[in-house]
Amino acid sequence: MTATSTAAPTSNVDLWSDEILSDPYPTYAALREQASVVYVPANDLYAVTRYEPIREALADWETFSSVKVAFNDDMNAALSHTSLASDPPKHTPMRAALMENLSPRSLRPLKDDIDAKADALVASLLDRPDVDLAKEIAKAFPISIVCDLIGVTGHVKENMLRWGEAAFNVLGPMNQRTIENFPIAGELFGWVMGVKASDLTPGSMGRGVFDAADRGMIPHEAAAGIIHQYIAAGLDTTIAEIGNALHLFGTHPDQYAKLRSNPELIPNAFNEVLRYYSAVHVWGRLVTKDVDIDGVTIPAGSQAGFIFAAGNRDPRHYDNPEAFDITRNASDHLSFGYGVHGCAGQGLARLEAHAVLAALVKHVREYSVGEPVMTPSNTTRSIGSLPLTRLVKA
Amino acid sequence: MKIVLDRPRCEGHGLCEEAAPTLMHLDDDGELIIDQPDVTSDADVALARAAVRVCPVAALWLQG
Repeated sequence: MTATSTAAPTSNVDLWSDEILSDPYPTYAALREQASVVYVPANDLYAVTRYEPIREALADWETFSSVKVAFNDDMNAALSHTSLASDPPKHTPMRAALMENLSPRSLRPLKDDIDAKADALVASLLDRPDVDLAKEIAKAFPISIVCDLIGVTGHVKENMLRWGEAAFNVLGPMNQRTIENFPIAGELFGWVMGVKASDLTPGSMGRGVFDAADRGMIPHEAAAGIIHQYIAAGLDTTIAEIGNALHLFGTHPDQYAKLRSNPELIPNAFNEVLRYYSAVHVWGRLVTKDVDIDGVTIPAGSQAGFIFAAGNRDPRHYDNPEAFDITRNASDHLSFGYGVHGCAGQGLARLEAHAVLAALVKHVREYSVGEPVMTPSNTTRSIGSLPLTRLVKA
Repeated sequence: MKIVLDRPRCEGHGLCEEAAPTLMHLDDDGELIIDQPDVTSDADVALARAAVRVCPVAALWLQG
């Protein structure tokens, strides 16, 4: 703490109200321009709002502990045995175990199959009336990829969307959405704890993980934990970001034309989508000691909330941040976090999103979308429905 | 200046290679190889800084 540091300015918003979650950017911009750190009494939270302080805090896992990533105590307790909600050194071996199936080098063999599936899905929609891009691509595609990876079909697959949405809703403060979603998140947990190797498709990654557990190579709970993270962490976020990409290109025809004329821009374009609309709005940390950020003190023992979506549009870091521009360098966006807890599934998310965009530019010359219908979520920016209003085939 | 890699922390995301392909690359097993650890010219230092900047797990830094 420096001699000049002062108490945080406050704001009377509830960051998890329906109104803000449906259209959060005006509120996030106001908080960001108010100060780097704003105390939000309604959520008992120190909101960190600007790009550089968020990035520096993400790198400092000793001051900003992950034991409080969620915004309610029940969920932080439930997550206490995961890499997500623990700090080094406990975190290190759990992260390594999780990455065995998620590192880019382990995902490399999946690329051709994921590309082919995206191509077939987009091609199947070209001549169809009344296409809903949120339901039929943004939601359907990650669910089909993750279900094939885990090796599930039938009623389990039909529950994936609900389970994935619930897993992120329960990270919010103990509001109505969190309370209603706890039993649904519990269904997912019950299923992964009860599933056996023989329930899963032979040859799938999920089958391999549970076969290893049956042979005693890893504990059964560890196998269940890995499968749980694929569904709980990997669905709603990827769905959100593919939906955001389809929305942004459907409303920015100039950017879509650029992407079509230069498909090598796809990786950078996806970074810009992630910067423009963060999949995760706010993410929590426990502050372990008094810390000064830009002259404001966050006291030890309080919870900080990093507003990724505010930092990603900070004009102190990005020129003209309100413009969606796929040629800008957006590779240092905050949407996957940063440092020891940087999103473990970002390689799979990239594979899926790049595959969808590659299929789109191959098959679709131009397209337009109607108003998206937002589904307020406690964690993710979720487009419930996105009508395709016009399509010109390539 | 020297590019330093925390190898246990590196997960092979490969964003550094995209930022600075003349200084580092992922080999066929997805392991990061620093081809040119010592950077002196302004251009190379800028590339190295960009690579450090994009590493999603903070496994790279510049020393000296």
